[in-house]
Amino acid sequence: MVTIDLAEIPVRDANERIRVHGEQREDVELINPDARHHLGVGLIDPITVKIRGSAGYFCAGLTDQARFEVDHNAGWGLGDNMYSGSVIVGGNAGAIPGVAIRGADVVVRGNMGSRAGQVMKAGTLCCGGNANFMAGYMMYGGRIIILGDSGERVGEDMTSGEIFVGGEVRDLGSDAELADIEEAEQDDIFEFLERYELSFKGTFKKIVNAGKKLRYSTSERQMRSIPFFTFSGTSDYWNPKIQEDIYIKSQIGRYRVRGYGGARELPHLADLAFKTDLSRAGDEPDPISKITMQTEIGGLNGAIPLKLSMPVMVAPMSYGALSRSTKQAIGIASGLSGIAENTGEGGMSDAQRGAAKQLIFQMLGGRLGWNIHDMKRADGLEIYISQGAKPGFGGQLMAKKVTKELAAIRGIPAGIDLRSPSRHPDILGADDLVIKIEELREATGYRLPVSVKLGAGRVSDDIKIAVKDGLDFVELDGMQGSTGAGSAEVMEYVGIPTISAIMEAEDALAEIGRRQDIEIALMGGLRDGVDAVKALCLGADVAAFGTSVIIAGGCIACMQCHVGQCVTGIATQDPEHEARYKPEVEAQNIHRFFECVRWQIAAITKALGHSDTRELSRDDLVALTPEAAAITRLPYAPEQRKSVQRLQLSVA
Amino acid sequence: MCGIAGIMFKDFTLEGAATGESLISMLDGCQHRGPDSTGFALYGDTQEDQYHLRFFVDEGEEGQAAISRIREILAEYNADIVEDEVIENNYRATVTYRGDIQSFAYALEHAAKVISIGTSLEIIKDVGSAHEVDDRFQVSDFKGTHGLGHVRLATESEVKPEAAHPFWATGFADVAIVHNGQITNYWKMRRRLEQRDFEFHTNNDSELIAVYLADKMAQGIPLKEALKTSIDDLDGTFSFLVSTKDEIGYAKDHLALKPMIMYENDDLIALASEELSLNRLFPGEALNTREPPPGTYETWSRST
Repeated sequence: MVTIDLAEIPVRDANERIRVHGEQREDVELINPDARHHLGVGLIDPITVKIRGSAGYFCAGLTDQARFEVDHNAGWGLGDNMYSGSVIVGGNAGAIPGVAIRGADVVVRGNMGSRAGQVMKAGTLCCGGNANFMAGYMMYGGRIIILGDSGERVGEDMTSGEIFVGGEVRDLGSDAELADIEEAEQDDIFEFLERYELSFKGTFKKIVNAGKKLRYSTSERQMRSIPFFTFSGTSDYWNPKIQEDIYIKSQIGRYRVRGYGGARELPHLADLAFKTDLSRAGDEPDPISKITMQTEIGGLNGAIPLKLSMPVMVAPMSYGALSRSTKQAIGIASGLSGIAENTGEGGMSDAQRGAAKQLIFQMLGGRLGWNIHDMKRADGLEIYISQGAKPGFGGQLMAKKVTKELAAIRGIPAGIDLRSPSRHPDILGADDLVIKIEELREATGYRLPVSVKLGAGRVSDDIKIAVKDGLDFVELDGMQGSTGAGSAEVMEYVGIPTISAIMEAEDALAEIGRRQDIEIALMGGLRDGVDAVKALCLGADVAAFGTSVIIAGGCIACMQCHVGQCVTGIATQDPEHEARYKPEVEAQNIHRFFECVRWQIAAITKALGHSDTRELSRDDLVALTPEAAAITRLPYAPEQRKSVQRLQLSVA
Repeated sequence: MCGIAGIMFKDFTLEGAATGESLISMLDGCQHRGPDSTGFALYGDTQEDQYHLRFFVDEGEEGQAAISRIREILAEYNADIVEDEVIENNYRATVTYRGDIQSFAYALEHAAKVISIGTSLEIIKDVGSAHEVDDRFQVSDFKGTHGLGHVRLATESEVKPEAAHPFWATGFADVAIVHNGQITNYWKMRRRLEQRDFEFHTNNDSELIAVYLADKMAQGIPLKEALKTSIDDLDGTFSFLVSTKDEIGYAKDHLALKPMIMYENDDLIALASEELSLNRLFPGEALNTREPPPGTYETWSRST
C-alpha cells in the first residue's frame, strides 16, 4: 500500500499518482483528506483506495472497477457515474450519493443527503441510516436499499428500478407506488448487507414506478406532413400549420410535439448584409488557397484544442434523434472536411467514434450514455445546459425511437417516452458548476477542452458564468436552431434569436473585459457559408451547422422527426426505415456541402479584402431591417438589399 | 453563485476568539465558489449607545464630499463622533447616538453608501479573495464572538464592492446576512415591504432577506420564528445565514438545492457551504458534521 499525504500534494497530482498506481495494481492510502473534492476521480483499475478521514464532492466519481473506502464522511455526488466497483463510506454522505451510477455498489453506513441515487441506471446504493428528501429521484434502474427511514417523496418520478426501505416510508413521490416484495429479492438484499457487514432485522417495503407518467396518455394523430418550408417565414397568418396545430391540440388536450424549429419570422443573419458590394466575389478562381481558415478551439486553458480546417463544426445532434447510420455519415463527412462532430445527448456509439476524427462528447442532466470510458476516448467534453430550440428543457425522445439497443447505450428502460431531465443533479448554480468542471478535467487528466452548450435565453448572465467558471468555449445556440422533438409552443416562443444571442454574449464579455478568455461557437439556423461569415463577423470564433447538415444528407424537412418513422432513414431507429439510408453516399453529400461552405467562406472573406477569417469584423456588415439594426447596432442600410441578390448569384 | 460561512464561539468570556482568522480560513477553503469578492460580518465589543458606521467612499474630492455629507447628517441627528478614519475605500466612524435608528440610517443612506450600522456589527467587504481583503482591512486581527463570511461570483451586476456580501439589513442595527441561492419572488416581497416604507439600496435578493428578518424581529418576533416563516414566504433556492448582536441562525429552502453543512463542539458552532471549509478549522481531523435537511432552520445564541 502506498500512502499519499494530501496535506503535502494537491488533489490533481494525487489523482495522477493514484492512476499510475492503478495501472501497477498497487493499493493507495490517502491521509489528511480534510474533505477535499474529487478524490480518486477517473480511476479505472481494480485497486483499493483508502481515504483516512472525510472526502469532499464527487469522491470516487467517474471511476470503474476500483474499491474506495472512506473512513468518515463524503460530500455531494459520492460515486458519481461509477461504472462498476464499490465505494464504502463509514459516516454520512451529502446530497446525491450514487448519482447517475451505471453499476457499482455505493454503501453509506450513516445517513445520506437529498436526492440519493438521482438518475442512477444500475447498481446498488445502500444506506445504513436514514435517507433524505426525494431518494431515488428520476432513477432509471438499479436498486436503493435504505435501512432507516425513507425521507419525503421517495421514488419521485422514478422510471424503473426498486427502492427498499427498512424503516418508515414517510411518503411516496410522484408516480411511485408500494409493491410486494419477493423472497428472492429479500434474500438478495440480505446477502448484500452481509457482504458489507451491515446488520438489519426486520422486513423491507418495496417502492417501484407506478407507470402513470412514462408515456403520454394520448398520442398525436399523424397528419399528412406539411414541409417545414411551406409555413415558415412569410406565409399567411392562418396557414396550414396553424390549422393543424389547433386541430391536433383539440384532439390530444396537451401541447403537441414535433421536430424542427420555430417557424415564426424572426430577425436573423439573413437580415444582415456585407458593407462592400461582393458581386465579384465569385470571380476568384481559387479563394480557398488564398485564405487562412485553420482554426483551433478549446485550448485557452491548456487543454489540447480541436483543430478545425475552417471555423466550422457540426452542431450537437443525438444518436437517438438520428439513426446510427446518419451519425456515422455525419462523422465521416466531418473527418473528410477536417472539422469536429458532436455526439449530442445519446451517448457515443463505436460507429460514430470510428467515423469522426474529432468528436465532442455531450453530458446531459440525465447522464444518458455518459461514462468514463467514452469520456476518455472523446476529443472534447460538453456540458449541455439547454438548446436554442427549447431553452430550459431537456431532450425528448418518443417511445417508438427508444429501442432496446438505444436504451442500452443510454442506460434506460426501452419503450418509454423519454423526457430527459431539464436540470443537472449537481449543477444548480455557477458555484456547483465550477466543481463539476474540475471533476471532468480531473477524470481526463486536463487533456480535453470542456465547453458548455447554452440555449439562448439569459445569455448575458450565462456567458459571464461560463468565463468566470473557466470553461474553454461556449456553444451558443439561438432560437432558430432545430430539435428532433420539442413542444411546438416552446420552439416558437421561448428563447432569443441567434443574432441577439451573439450580441448579448459579446456585450457581456466586453462589460467584464473577458472576451479573450473564452471562445464562442455560434449556431442556430445557419444555412450556408454566407451565414457562417456573418456569424464570424459578429464575433463568433466558429460557426456550427445542424439542420443544414441533415438536409445535405437527405432530410426532407417533414417535421415528423419525433414520430420515428422517417422515410429517409434519418430520424428513426426502425431498421426497415434506416435501411434506406446509405451512410457512405450521404457522407459524401454532407462532405460536399461542407466544401461549399468552405468555398463560400473563403470567397467572401477574400472579397471583403481579408486574408484570414480572423480578420472578419462587424465593420464588414450592415443591417437590412430596422429590427436587425436595433439588435446588432449595425448601420441600417436597406439600399444594400440589391447587393444581397448579387452576392447570392455570385457565390451560389 | 457563492459560498457562505458562519462561526460563533459559544463561551462569550472566551477572550480573543479568532473570528476574523477563522472566517478567512473557511472562505479560503471555498473561494472556488466565488472568486470575485469576499466579505465579512464581524461582531465585537459593544459600548452603550455607541454605533459603528461603515461607508464606501470614493477617492479624492468625491470621497471628501461624501464624508462631509455624512458629518452633516451626524450633526443633524445629534450623533457625536467618538473616532473616525478612512481605511482604503471605507470611511469608518464610531458615534454615540440615542435616537430612532431607522430614520437615522435612511438619512445616512441618502447621503452616502452605507455598508453597515451596528452597536457590535461591522461589515467589511470588497472585491478580491479572502486573503486580499484581509491584506487591505486586517480582518485577521479581529477578535469577537461571532461572524459571517461570503465569497461571491458576480453575474447580474459588475464586480463592485457594494454588491459584495454580507448584506446589512438596511435600517436595522446589527443584522447581517449571507446567502447562497436565488429568491424568485423577490419583487413581490420587496413591494410588500416598500409599501410599509422600507427602503432598499440594491436589487440584491440578500438585502431583501435581511430586511425581511429584521422587520420581523423589530415586531418582537424571535429570530427563530422569523426564520421559520421565511422558508414559506421566500420562494426559490437558498441556504442563508443570519446574525444579530447575540445570535446566528440558518434557513434552508424546501428542496435543499444549495449546500450547507455544520459542525458543533463544546466551544463553537461553524456553518459553511462545504465541509472543506469546516475542515480548514481542524486540519487533519475527521469531523462529525451534519447536513441539515430541506426546509429547516435553527439558531444559536451566544448567551446560552
